[in-house]
Amino acid sequence: MRKSKIIGVFLLAFLLNACLWSQSSSFLDHLRIGFGGGVNTAQIAVLQTYNVFEDLTGTAYMNEYTGMLQNIGNQYFMHVEWFNDYFILTLKPGTYTYRFNKINEVVFNNETTTQETPYLLRYMSIPLEARYRFDLQRFRPYAGGSVSYSHLLSSNDPSNQTFIRSRFTAGPVAGTYIDLRYVILDFNVAYHYGLHNVTSKTNRFETGSGNTFAQDDILLNGLQINLSLLFSLQKQKHYSNVECFY
Amino acid sequence: MWNVFIRIKKRKVYQNFLLILLLVGAVACDINQKEILPEDGFLKIYNHPAEHLAYFPESLVELPGGGYVFLSAVKDENDEVEYPYTNLVRTTASGEVSWSLDFDWRAPASQLVLLNGSVGFVAMNQNFDAFLILVNPANGEITSQHDLEMSMPLFAYADSQDKLVVLGYDFVTRSSWITKYSSSYQVERSNKLPVNTDLEYLVQRHLNKTGQDYPFFIGEYTNAPGTGYSVNCFYNYTLRTVFMEMTSLDATGDIYSFQTEEGISSVIQKDGNIFGLTSYYEGNNYIVPASELNVNTSANIKDLPADPLYELTYRAEVIPGNLDLDTASYTLFVSQTNDNSMVIYQYQKDTEVLVNTLYRQFDQRVVVNEVVQTADKGIVILGGIYILGKYQRPLLIKLDQEAFLPEEE
Repeated sequence: MRKSKIIGVFLLAFLLNACLWSQSSSFLDHLRIGFGGGVNTAQIAVLQTYNVFEDLTGTAYMNEYTGMLQNIGNQYFMHVEWFNDYFILTLKPGTYTYRFNKINEVVFNNETTTQETPYLLRYMSIPLEARYRFDLQRFRPYAGGSVSYSHLLSSNDPSNQTFIRSRFTAGPVAGTYIDLRYVILDFNVAYHYGLHNVTSKTNRFETGSGNTFAQDDILLNGLQINLSLLFSLQKQKHYSNVECFY
Repeated sequence: MWNVFIRIKKRKVYQNFLLILLLVGAVACDINQKEILPEDGFLKIYNHPAEHLAYFPESLVELPGGGYVFLSAVKDENDEVEYPYTNLVRTTASGEVSWSLDFDWRAPASQLVLLNGSVGFVAMNQNFDAFLILVNPANGEITSQHDLEMSMPLFAYADSQDKLVVLGYDFVTRSSWITKYSSSYQVERSNKLPVNTDLEYLVQRHLNKTGQDYPFFIGEYTNAPGTGYSVNCFYNYTLRTVFMEMTSLDATGDIYSFQTEEGISSVIQKDGNIFGLTSYYEGNNYIVPASELNVNTSANIKDLPADPLYELTYRAEVIPGNLDLDTASYTLFVSQTNDNSMVIYQYQKDTEVLVNTLYRQFDQRVVVNEVVQTADKGIVILGGIYILGKYQRPLLIKLDQEAFLPEEE
């Protein structure tokens, strides 16, 4: 909790500095701010399994995670971006929630049991995206890359303790801006590839009273689909179906 | 005014940048975790798909080259013989099964012994005759078997001189039977402690896992009067801990309680005449973390100052053990609670100070059967769990020594 507050203070200090610096430059003319949200699908890549059950007859038991299409999460974020003619730098700090299930199987001759344990991991994330854009007037598609730092927020779920707090991801992003004159929509698709194991190695067996399993070493990857609503702080131009310069 | 404020903030940027660097360092420490190998800590549950089998874990040894062998008594409800047969499982250092073998030796007695590179267990044939079976830990093949010339084995123990000591029950003379064997497994010394009443039926029910599971055990002590064994057995109408001189096997003293319904569940020597022990009576479990005992007298368990352990299960099995770390030594008492947890009471070895209490909760009922300190100074616990609340199966928990280090203030 205290760590979250410290991170929050640092984030605020950073944004305040950026704003103050922009006051003394033309930074504001190239700034857009807004907010957005979207859905994500978590993809779990197992680095090392730690199956609790061993079969004395040598049978291997299923120990896996639900697929991407079943792991629907969501995110809400602030959207701040700086742009010039071709490049855009984007910050999207917010809460990113990932959901997935772990499936364990225990086999008996007449009764095979599947245990399914749900996970909900809510991160405070700060994705930084660099985009190269193409200007097709109303539509302005772009492509680029993203790196993100995330901090896992605490919860009452004991299995939350089996994960480390920090998480770094990187991956490609693509999308398009849709110019609606007074506002700009940003439709964005990004794949975030986990750069490291997110399981806490010292707490992998602390899965709580109701769960007899161990946390595997995993990468938490995810596909995000976002829609942002942006407001430009510069004087409006090129914002109409009719080319109207003034 | 506003511009002055901006200039001041520009200078602050560098300070904030430094703080951000420190934050990045902290994050890097979080990600770059200390590597913990699977053999440093694990939890394994060993399942057999046959629903009609019930596993009663008994004992565990760590092999000198790494890995474990554990013994279970297996009760097959389809078996025509009412006494459970023997199952041995060899695992790797991380708890994965190397081999699992069944032996047609009945009612294996706690505990496994390591003798001359072989793993040995004591069990009986269908005529109640006790045998020592030695097994090659590499492949599970029986290397030799020895008639121990006693009946109804209840506990086996390899002492500090690698001599085998076995507790049995002689249903002819109605006596507890304690025998010490030579290195060639010939009877070296034997003593029978008269029970003075016929407890054969209770012993049979204990052996075939249908009645009360009595805490029979053999321990060892060394103090000023000499060296000896502490043997928990039936003696003179009651379940009592008898102190026996090591060479002669003569009984020198004992701790007794009320008949067979109450008794001592564990004893461990802490230092000299200071012992730690646990007991159950009047429906509760009690612990005496450290008390001075005279091994040459007879004492009532109720005369010892004891603390209640209300959380433990009815007549809980309690396994004592020593934990020697680089910084300190501790005495552990490991048991199970009414809320399906394994519990470890960690006491300072030289005092009665409780340093730590560790719990590991499960979603099904668990029992504890054996605790061993490993070569890497962690501990491994052999227990049993009711998978799906129905099927009794063995489990192993390995805990790293860091779990027992005092928290820094």
